[in-house]
Amino acid sequence: MSDLPLTGVRVLEIGGGISAAFATRWMAGFGADVVRVDAAAEALGDDQVACLLPGKRRVAANGLHELALAADIVVEDGKPGSLAARGLNPETLRRERPRLVITSISSFGKDGPYAGYESTNLVAHALGGILSLTGSPGRPPLCNGGSQAEYLGGLNGFSASVTAYFGALVHGEGDWIDISLQECAAGMLELHGPMSAATGERSERRANQTSAVWGIYPCADGFGGVCALARQIPALFAMVGDPDLEDERFTDPHKRLEHNDELEARMWVWFSDKTRAELLQLGVEHKVPTGVVYTPKEVLGSSSLQERGFFDAIDTPTGRAQVPGRPFLGFAWRKGALHAACADTEAVRRDWLGENA
Amino acid sequence: MKRLPLEGIRIADLSMMWAGPYATRILAEMGAEVLKIESPTAWDNVRTLGALPDEDEPWNASAYFNDYNRDKKSLTIDLSGDLGRELFLDLVPHCDVVIENYRADVLDNLGLGYEVLRERRADIILVSMAGFGKTGSERNHVGYGPIIEQMSGLTSMTGYGDGVPMKTGISYGDPVAGVAATGAIALALIQRQRTGEGTFVDLAQRETMASLIGEAFVAASLRGEDPVQRGNRHPAFAPQGVYRCRGDDDWVAISVRSDAEWRSLAHHIGADHVSELAGGERRERHDEIDALIEDWTRTRSPQTAMEELQERGVPAGRVLDSDAIHRDRQLEARGYWVELPHPKQDVWKQPSSAWRLLEANPQLREHAPLFGQHNREIITGLLGRSEAELQALADAGVIGDAPINPSAG
Repeated sequence: MSDLPLTGVRVLEIGGGISAAFATRWMAGFGADVVRVDAAAEALGDDQVACLLPGKRRVAANGLHELALAADIVVEDGKPGSLAARGLNPETLRRERPRLVITSISSFGKDGPYAGYESTNLVAHALGGILSLTGSPGRPPLCNGGSQAEYLGGLNGFSASVTAYFGALVHGEGDWIDISLQECAAGMLELHGPMSAATGERSERRANQTSAVWGIYPCADGFGGVCALARQIPALFAMVGDPDLEDERFTDPHKRLEHNDELEARMWVWFSDKTRAELLQLGVEHKVPTGVVYTPKEVLGSSSLQERGFFDAIDTPTGRAQVPGRPFLGFAWRKGALHAACADTEAVRRDWLGENA
Repeated sequence: MKRLPLEGIRIADLSMMWAGPYATRILAEMGAEVLKIESPTAWDNVRTLGALPDEDEPWNASAYFNDYNRDKKSLTIDLSGDLGRELFLDLVPHCDVVIENYRADVLDNLGLGYEVLRERRADIILVSMAGFGKTGSERNHVGYGPIIEQMSGLTSMTGYGDGVPMKTGISYGDPVAGVAATGAIALALIQRQRTGEGTFVDLAQRETMASLIGEAFVAASLRGEDPVQRGNRHPAFAPQGVYRCRGDDDWVAISVRSDAEWRSLAHHIGADHVSELAGGERRERHDEIDALIEDWTRTRSPQTAMEELQERGVPAGRVLDSDAIHRDRQLEARGYWVELPHPKQDVWKQPSSAWRLLEANPQLREHAPLFGQHNREIITGLLGRSEAELQALADAGVIGDAPINPSAG
């Protein structure tokens, strides 16, 4: 297993929500010795346990100070101040162990007027800006599926932690990283963030049609989508095959926006009798970005993902589950198994601290 | 001064649009030197999305482009001919990482695949971010963020409950892949530090997106379930929703996790008659409870509603739109927005790094580069070519200081 990129790296996960658990999930797969500190009450649902905890060892929540000082990376997602309240002041830990990377993930960051706010995925998503842009005009802003605000915090937590760990390898010093779910989202509002900042105008929700050529439409057996930039318009119109589209009111980029409603009406009609398989095939033939709306069950059946070995089979108490495995190819990966809560307390204390039971 | 983690790392950035440029913005924030490479004939399309039409150089005046490409240097190379290709290959030995998010076949078609790059630098790290990866039967599909989202399963899970799937309001697959790519690069650098070897990272944007809905695959594989579109509701927390406030399209999100939070909310909004309902009852009577909450939120601004509820320990958050977010009290208090001057447009509030390394303290350094701004510095400085050679490259159209045919964007 020595070819795993994070072999020998010790990671302590404290807090136990989606953000911390996802931040360390890929570290475990890439070979780190991830030790999850189990809370008195499990914060994750069974399905989240199955996809976020494979390959992690699990310990009871005592003697954390010693474990933190034996770690290379500590990831936590408690409310600001909760780590210090458990005797793990990050600033003190940093002084005691200069190479240590500590990553704190919270809804709004460790300071500021909202730092102590109560939060959930929906609340953090609301203050991050993505919610306001999602959904139909005239209906409430819509939360996208799953727990995206929390997962985004975990994703940033992973990448920031391994980046800082690389810095510690090269420069000899770690850092304390303060990640706010709100800030993770607020800096990735596509063109809407910078355009509103520059013009003072807010972007409106556009449901599934950002424009006629950038949207999702009902098709013969579900829903399909198209995303065409100006340079792909000729290929798109060739794919659609409607000679009326050669008119200047559709080919000229500015006039096309003025006639967006008319073009959108034509796209509704064009999509309506195509199957999803046809839409994908036409997109490849014409080099037009087309897509189809797949359910997770359909994604599980994707031959492309199977050929690429994306999913890992993980044994759970209720059967064998398929969970997302390595996020990208290019490194050795281990799928890992699920451990029971607190099952590894003694073994970890022996391995990390040299204690004998 | 404490060093940023990626100081000393140089990145050749062939990526365009959003996924790759978002990754390299973060890498630049972390101290890397990013050389953004565009062709005079195939330049980053984002340059002309959102540019003001009356600008004399619109390709340098897009807030959208300038926001996501700050702290980078601009080098123009037309990679389609031998001169340009050789110029790029001369650059490779000076770079630790090459990153690209072309369609899956493009880099190889340019004759710049991993094996070619390795001949110039044995420990090069190449990160490719095609939508569906470099292998597999769907590798030839072309995808932008919304398509990645549809094909990953997420779009099917988002909706008001009427069966119509709904896209996220941004091209969500892009930044997700971008952040994942930064982690891949850190891993590759760690591995190189340990073994002396580079690697080729084949990142499929659809796969990084799917990694953010892991539970849905567990439910589908164990129990054959497809997710239910829940609108803004939650399987356990009730009530949970987004409620209309006073004002024009102003909303507050409220999420109740416990009986205690519910009692607190119910008392505050004058709904004492339902304050003792248990969670199951609250889920059954969710519509009725939503109406009671909205009667109250409609009398308040979203900011006031949020603050009043948070004072009482109830999770509540104002829905910040793309304009109001630039005046948010929390982001302001944390100094999140920074006004970094740019020579071709008025200042606007730009986000600072979401990765707050509290000791190394990353800061915005340089405005996004003008098209080809660093051609001379890189070609005569780093690559040591003469002024005459620089001029010859310009004369041959290999490099340029303005895009060819910018209206085609």
